[in-house]
Amino acid sequence: MASEPRLDSARSGLPSGWVQALGPVFGLAGTYLLFALIAPASFRSLDNLETIARQTAIVGAAALGMTMIMVAGAIDLSVGSVVALGSVVIAWLLQFAGASPLVAGLGGILAGTVVGLVSGLLVTRLRVVSFIVTLGMMLAVRGLAKSIAHEQKIDAPLTWLNDLLATLPAERQWMLLPAGVWLVIALALLVAGLLRYTRLGRHIFAVGSNEQTARLCGVPVSRVKVLTFLLGGSFFGLGGLLQFSRLTVGDPTAAVGLELDVIAAVVIGGGSLSGGEGSVFGSLVGALIMSVIRSGCTQMGLPNWVQEVVTGAVIVAAVALDRWRHRRVG
Amino acid sequence: MTATRVPSAPERLQMHDICKRFGSTVALQEVSFTARGGEVHALVGENGAGKSTLMKVLSGALAPDSGTMVLDGLPYHPRDPLEARRRGVAMIYQELSLAPHLTVAENILLGVEPGRFGLVARREMSRRAQEAMARLQHPEISPTALVGDLSPAAQQLVEIGRSLAVGCRVLVLDEPTSSLTSQDVERLFEVIGHLRQEGHAIVYISHFLEEVKRIADRITVLRDGRVVGGAPAAELSAGEIVSLMVGRRLDELYPRSPRVPGEAVLEIRGLQGVPLPLDASVTLRRGEVLGIFGLVGAGRTELLRTLFGLAAIRSGEVRLGVHAGPASPLRRWRQGAGYLSEDRAREGLAVGLSLADNLTLSHLDDLGPAGLVLPRRQEAAANRWVRQLGIRARDARQKVASLSGGNQQKVALARLLHSDVDVLLLDEPTRGIDVASKALIYELIDTLAAGRRIGDAAGALERPRAILMVSSYLPELLGVCDRIAVMCRGRLGAAQAVEDVTPEALLLAATGQEGVSDGV
Amino acid sequence: MRTALSLVLIAAAVFALSSCAKPPEPTPDASAKADQAAQPAPAATQGKLTVAVIPKGTTHEFWKSIHAGANKAEEFGVEIVWKGPLKEDNRDEQIKIVEDMTSKGVSGIVLAPLDDTALRLPVQEATRKGIPVVIIDSGLQSEDYVSFVATDNKNGGKIAGEHLAKLLGGKGKVIMLRYQEGSASTMEREAGFLEAMAANPGIEVVSSNQYGGATTETAYKASENVLAPYKKGGRLMVDGIFCPNESTTFGMLRALQDAKLAGKVKFVGFDSSEKLVAALQAGEIHGLVLQDPMNMGYLGVKTMVEHLQGKTVEKRISTGENLATPENMNEPRIQELLKPDFARWLKE
Repeated sequence: MASEPRLDSARSGLPSGWVQALGPVFGLAGTYLLFALIAPASFRSLDNLETIARQTAIVGAAALGMTMIMVAGAIDLSVGSVVALGSVVIAWLLQFAGASPLVAGLGGILAGTVVGLVSGLLVTRLRVVSFIVTLGMMLAVRGLAKSIAHEQKIDAPLTWLNDLLATLPAERQWMLLPAGVWLVIALALLVAGLLRYTRLGRHIFAVGSNEQTARLCGVPVSRVKVLTFLLGGSFFGLGGLLQFSRLTVGDPTAAVGLELDVIAAVVIGGGSLSGGEGSVFGSLVGALIMSVIRSGCTQMGLPNWVQEVVTGAVIVAAVALDRWRHRRVG
Repeated sequence: MTATRVPSAPERLQMHDICKRFGSTVALQEVSFTARGGEVHALVGENGAGKSTLMKVLSGALAPDSGTMVLDGLPYHPRDPLEARRRGVAMIYQELSLAPHLTVAENILLGVEPGRFGLVARREMSRRAQEAMARLQHPEISPTALVGDLSPAAQQLVEIGRSLAVGCRVLVLDEPTSSLTSQDVERLFEVIGHLRQEGHAIVYISHFLEEVKRIADRITVLRDGRVVGGAPAAELSAGEIVSLMVGRRLDELYPRSPRVPGEAVLEIRGLQGVPLPLDASVTLRRGEVLGIFGLVGAGRTELLRTLFGLAAIRSGEVRLGVHAGPASPLRRWRQGAGYLSEDRAREGLAVGLSLADNLTLSHLDDLGPAGLVLPRRQEAAANRWVRQLGIRARDARQKVASLSGGNQQKVALARLLHSDVDVLLLDEPTRGIDVASKALIYELIDTLAAGRRIGDAAGALERPRAILMVSSYLPELLGVCDRIAVMCRGRLGAAQAVEDVTPEALLLAATGQEGVSDGV
Repeated sequence: MRTALSLVLIAAAVFALSSCAKPPEPTPDASAKADQAAQPAPAATQGKLTVAVIPKGTTHEFWKSIHAGANKAEEFGVEIVWKGPLKEDNRDEQIKIVEDMTSKGVSGIVLAPLDDTALRLPVQEATRKGIPVVIIDSGLQSEDYVSFVATDNKNGGKIAGEHLAKLLGGKGKVIMLRYQEGSASTMEREAGFLEAMAANPGIEVVSSNQYGGATTETAYKASENVLAPYKKGGRLMVDGIFCPNESTTFGMLRALQDAKLAGKVKFVGFDSSEKLVAALQAGEIHGLVLQDPMNMGYLGVKTMVEHLQGKTVEKRISTGENLATPENMNEPRIQELLKPDFARWLKE
């Protein structure tokens, strides 16, 4: 046998997913500190931190699903449309079906789940790449949302759903952050655990990294893909619920272009467009980076275009890094 | 060939004490190498020994950290392959660098087209191309033929012709026969012999030792970035060359323990796939190694893939243990079979994932409570095989992409061990890996067939396994297998005991000229 | 490698920020001028009031006028922070801006809500945190605001309807292209217009259920679709058209011009822009109901300042509405509304 290999078991510190997310964390810290230095004092206030957290919740929830899908080597462009559909379905259930807020909220998530299931089945059965399938779904689902809402918005009565992302009233300050933000954080831990500690999670990574190897190793590739899209869709549906919570109306034109924010969050967070890489934690950090830039620019009174230029530069830098990382691996 | 040897040939190219490091890895250490005019100098060594690094230094693709080079008495330090070519040093790589949509003449004179005022003198081009091919004694390759339409062998000749046309007199041939038929190899050797007579200096890189013995005048052996031996070819036996390459004796390469064939664990009858194989029947017993020999394209890989559920079965019967009929790869793993792909990079391994992930992917059971997969347990399971198989890796979290070919293959093979399968379907298990890794894999196959423990591995039941091994390399099949069957044009012949076959008979059967089953 | 990643991210942010933290260079491009007004400004200059003015969008001329009016109101010793969503249907973006201004701690917010319901919660939140809100342009289904400063939109729609009815002599077929569901101001105009139509039994409204949408582009497409069924052999089987805001009016104008129908049908629009004024002059548009957006921006801020100074303000303040026709468009009073001198207030 060859010479004794060096086995460095003492170095088993953080799980590699977290290590991978360290870069984006530095990026987030750097961006925040930069604005803390040059933006008005109000930027550093706890209030503003809470506002940033609330404003990140929708992209964050969707990024949970997108992380899974992108790790599996696919992509889902229908996020924005599914979020709009979710908000419309919830408003419709509240307004016209007399549903309780809980039922309506679950209905919105279910709508996203069904869309995810359809996308997954189309991708696996038709053997069409996910980019094309979900591009079609993006248009179709947007149309469906508009048809349910008759091309208008649907007003809905105010319920506790609308408190999910509202600023905390004084008597509930002990919660620190609104329930919706906690929900996203809890689900993030759940998804991170799923990806890391379950058979399905390892299968998702394998399918994304090399589908042929996964098939050879007995991974039920189609089932894994469908499940991934289905779970992803349910998180987009959750995004719809949070969108509804903020808007208080079902808006079929909401979240146009959200898919780009969500994909950007995943990519900034270390996800790869070619699959097999990505971490939930990194994706959330990616979403936060974009929110911090937004908030900082607004607080400084900078015009919209500045924020767009900065965010664009960060996305390009992150994608360039993604490619660079792959070149290094060879 | 040996008659044309020129003992006192002029030194054309000298490399003195070349050193090259990549980070902490020493790729070349004080390597000296001389190419003489009218001589074929073979450079051999296992993968990773430093052959390609040395050639990259020679061709200007890499700059050495220290050392000097002299070409025809002048200092030679090419900054890039183009400059090397201008100075007369040409590399002929495995992947040819021809433009398939251009003609032979256009390729040969690419960049040095005759003519003036930007007009190309077509007739002159044709004439010069014809001349170049005639010099190689292959005037039948027409200057007007499209390169894309030529056979790989003819393309290789065009590539050599192109180097000659620009006046190169040091030719480096990197594994030139790897994609050639045996007839084409003969043609190539004739061309090389001719070039030698014309006084060219030829550096010949190959891991086919038989070829090296035949064609080379002088042999230099590299191991771990150092020259470990160099002598006129006549003074080295094939065994000595291998010993130098591996650092161990040849008869240790193919160990063979006493094996006791047990019950039949895999039976196939009249198996037909889509489109291959056409007809395959064989019985594999526990405790035996059965080799399948054949040419590329004969349907050997397709046979294994069909068996394993990676390709559809058209007709025929398959029985694996007590399980009859077709099954998905997932089922096959659960039924106790494992498949090692011939293509590591595209199918065998997910190179972007960690060693631990790759190794345990086919069997994620028992790695945590309640069906969970705990990374720590996963890494512990992987580390066990890293240790047993001597896989050189930083730790089990290292990405497979950053491992050497031999270590990658060990990871792919360790997957079958981790899944503790009874039937191992191995497709070209030693393709493209270093000799040390090969030796380890041969040893492992013997251990598994004999039913011994692997190293100090505990836990797995010691029992003889059954191994079906596909290979294009006859010596290893003859060295490792108990029985060998030949596959030719989709049909699998009857398996013969290894004592009853000769290499010639197997080759004939593989090319469809004579059936092994008819008796040899 | 990880460090390199963070370095690049920071570098990108530093680069982008350092390049924009400087005041923008003067540029001759007129479209860029509106942005220049929003130069970075420290939020809390001692004792000076800071008022955030949040429009529905920033691209339409209408909002530039509001911006000019708001800047004019700086004469009351306030600082104006101007920030709006890029597109007029991005409810979430506007909610975020209101939230950001709330945590920034401005003295007051002047808001033109994109949606009469979706903006309720952030306005309520701002009010709860002691930041008063004045609503301009479009209504909000809430009582949490100080004052509503806007055109009497219903009256504006009615003026348009009466003018069109007069042009048609009290009979004919009429199309109304709506703007967007949830936009209270235009819905009121549409209602006022339909009311005026109902008073003329000879007039039939053949289409009033189509929406132009948020941008000129969507309005243009919608206009083509609305006109299509009534086009016969180069003629339009409709006598009158009404559009309730600038983008729909311009989209419809483009659709008519492309179909060579401009001027062949009586066309009354709402709001003004250079192109619309040219069309009015050319006889392709026969009437434009004009709001006074500069006045709206000015009064919005003025009302906020008065409220902050402890004065009582009216809950509803009208900024007036006027009709421009090819005949009266050269009168100085109308000229000032058609071509407001907002450039002066946008710090040219």
